[in-house]
Amino acid sequence: MSLRERNEEPVREYLVFRLAEDTYGVELIRVQEIVNPPALTEVPRANATTIGICSVRGMLVTVVDLRRVLRLAEAPASRNSRILLTRTEGAELMGLYVDEVFQVSRLLESEIEGANAVLGADLSDHVAGIGRPDGELIVLLDMRSITS
Amino acid sequence: MTDGIDKAREEFFSEAQELIEMFSRNLLALDEQGIGAADPSIINEAFRAVHTLKSLAGLFNATEMGRVSHTLEDVLDRLRLGRLKASPDVLDVLFAAVDCYGAMLAAERGEEGLNQPQIEKLMGVLGTLGESAVEEAPDQMAFDLEPGLLAVLTEYEEHRLKTNMDAGQALFRIRVRFDLATIDKALEDVKAKAKPHGEIITYLPTGDAPSADAIELDLLMASSSSLEQLEAALGGTDLTITAIPRISQASASTGISSLSTHALGTSSFAAVGEETAGSTVAVGDNPRTEPPVNAELNVPAVPMLRSVADTVRVDIRKLDGLMNVVGELAIVKSALNRLGDRLRNTQDRELRREVSRIQRSFERRLSELQDGILEVRMVTLGQLFDRLSRVVRQISRDMGKEIRLVVTGAQTEIDKLLVEELGDPLMHIIRNSIDHGIESAEQRKAIGKPVAGTIALNAYQKGNHVVIQIEDDGQGVNEAAVVERAVRAGHLAANEVEMLSRAEALGLIFLPGLSTREQAGEYSGRGVGMDIVKTNINKLGGIIDIQSEYSIGTQLVITLPITLAIVNALLIRLLGRTFALPLSSVAEALMFDEKLVRTVDGREVMTLRGSTLVLCRLDRFFELKEPALPHEGPRYKSVVVATMGARRLGLVVDDLLGQQDIVVKGLGPTLRHVRGFAGASELGDQRVALVLDAGAIIEEALAGHDAVTTMRARPS
Repeated sequence: MSLRERNEEPVREYLVFRLAEDTYGVELIRVQEIVNPPALTEVPRANATTIGICSVRGMLVTVVDLRRVLRLAEAPASRNSRILLTRTEGAELMGLYVDEVFQVSRLLESEIEGANAVLGADLSDHVAGIGRPDGELIVLLDMRSITS
Repeated sequence: MTDGIDKAREEFFSEAQELIEMFSRNLLALDEQGIGAADPSIINEAFRAVHTLKSLAGLFNATEMGRVSHTLEDVLDRLRLGRLKASPDVLDVLFAAVDCYGAMLAAERGEEGLNQPQIEKLMGVLGTLGESAVEEAPDQMAFDLEPGLLAVLTEYEEHRLKTNMDAGQALFRIRVRFDLATIDKALEDVKAKAKPHGEIITYLPTGDAPSADAIELDLLMASSSSLEQLEAALGGTDLTITAIPRISQASASTGISSLSTHALGTSSFAAVGEETAGSTVAVGDNPRTEPPVNAELNVPAVPMLRSVADTVRVDIRKLDGLMNVVGELAIVKSALNRLGDRLRNTQDRELRREVSRIQRSFERRLSELQDGILEVRMVTLGQLFDRLSRVVRQISRDMGKEIRLVVTGAQTEIDKLLVEELGDPLMHIIRNSIDHGIESAEQRKAIGKPVAGTIALNAYQKGNHVVIQIEDDGQGVNEAAVVERAVRAGHLAANEVEMLSRAEALGLIFLPGLSTREQAGEYSGRGVGMDIVKTNINKLGGIIDIQSEYSIGTQLVITLPITLAIVNALLIRLLGRTFALPLSSVAEALMFDEKLVRTVDGREVMTLRGSTLVLCRLDRFFELKEPALPHEGPRYKSVVVATMGARRLGLVVDDLLGQQDIVVKGLGPTLRHVRGFAGASELGDQRVALVLDAGAIIEEALAGHDAVTTMRARPS
């Protein structure tokens, strides 16, 4: 930590979570709150990635299943499942359903590599880059792309 | 900090908006009065609105708005001074300024870029109005006023004096004494009493105050009433009225001498003149201490500051916030009710009664609170109708058609949010009416109609709905052309045409891509009109219907809910899920009997009291899957008869759970395109239920040529 602080290189904070077997991250500043999933109400005719709506303290939240967005295999909710609340550019309150929240990671810019070179065309729409702190691998997601 | 700034800016926007609207209203009033009869107080009001806008713009760095206001002020000043007549051409320019203000305000809000060409164009025209135009005849007072008095009259007062003299009014001096503490109110009082009798031209302090707490003013008033009448009207102990006789010296030219018959007083004019002049000397070193603009406008500064004190402007989002709280209280209420139910078995009667009393009182207060908040959200349709009058005026002039707009029911109240959404659809309908509906003057003359076309705009409340009618006396809709277009656009098969009823044929006008004019006009007729109007109205939970008679006219009727905020809803169950259906669109509910279902043209129908009801099984309609968890199957199903205007549909549901007041929240942008839902609402058990949009469901279930066949299946 102290070593990093002394470093002049900018540090970015990511909220790191699990989806299926992999570790993902989104910019912390984009996450408003992490909530335990309340009862969801499905919305017929909504697009496939939307799993429903719920209310968080009186505010309506559109909940999106990140597994579906990233085309991962579906799995039933577990007791570790959480919803990340984020406000989209259209001022919509959106919830991202994830399997488990780990921690906040501070990544140096040198620890982040661009996505384009690494992954296939379709996925890299949502992937902003790959974070590699201390030999780990975090898929960094582009919140804007996911919520638009 | 930034919050404070944002708030201030918000207030700037709403205040500017109000001023622009006031300016626009003044212009409309001037337009109505015609060139000669323009009421000076209205021109003054317009001037004041623009002047205040200018200061506001300066305060908030809206330079362009400030620049336009400044030039506009010049033009209005010339109007006030009679150097410019309020001709239709001049008013056109002023109306263009209203539009330009609107655009500039939108630009300030960041909604769109600044439309520089529009501003420059306006500035150019305003500039020419500010200079040349109708000059008044050489300034020669038609009467021999004492120069001392003339010297203190402002240019505007002089102009008013002259105008009144030309109109043959007599002149009176009203000397009145005011207590300084109450002068504002007392002066307003005198002004109000004097108004029906004529015009007060100036106020001059006499400098003769009996004490330090009082002030004496000479009011110069022009009136056609007699001295006795004025005394009777204004009467008061602190007030003396003298008629100012006219001594015509040189000016025989303007027939002033005939006016001297009005001269009832005894003192000679010269004497009065001297007296008045004397009094002005008294204030000479302290001339007109009020700020210049107010002085010129004859308005004491204090009342102006006060005029807005009894209303509060509120951001509608705050009301939404309050509404949410009410919604949450409704949830508390149901919890309380459940508690009451549990107590039913208790032996403690005292406790039971107590709880039930609290329950009732809570319920009553809650509904009062709800009504109160709803009431605050309500605004009259007046503002919107004013805006439409402007549009009518503009378009009819541009198209060279003479249109008379008759507005009734402008005081009808409706939710503020709905008003904002209504503007565009109504505007479009009216444009259509003028462009397609009302014939040209020649055509109208040829068929014996009055040359001026009439558009009637009417609004009234009907239960929980507001009805808005737009009616014109034009040529009516050419059904044959509409049908032909519909066939060409593929909405209808050729062999279906002759089976269409009149109403069905007219209804086709709301389908996408239908425009019956060969050439698109500037204002309408690009074929993107009525379907969008309809979609917008439907989005608000309303419906639109059309009636039209060839050569007699067309009527469009829009029915809207009064508010979208709180809705009394019927809760229904479908495959283990709960939905809410606004009761305003429910006609009745009955038991469903599978044996009574018949099939007509591939559609399920049943007979209800002798007429055919088309059925819609909502679970299939929404393609709901059996839930993963087992749920209680329905004991018996129900049919809920949903209605929208003249149309109805039987919704087959698993169960009815009763009714409840719900706060409807809109779905987010990603879900807004999903048809069939008006929003969602939190029910007592923390779950969210979707609110069904009956209009959209009826529409879709009876859509396209299905609608035609099913409507035919029903005797009407």
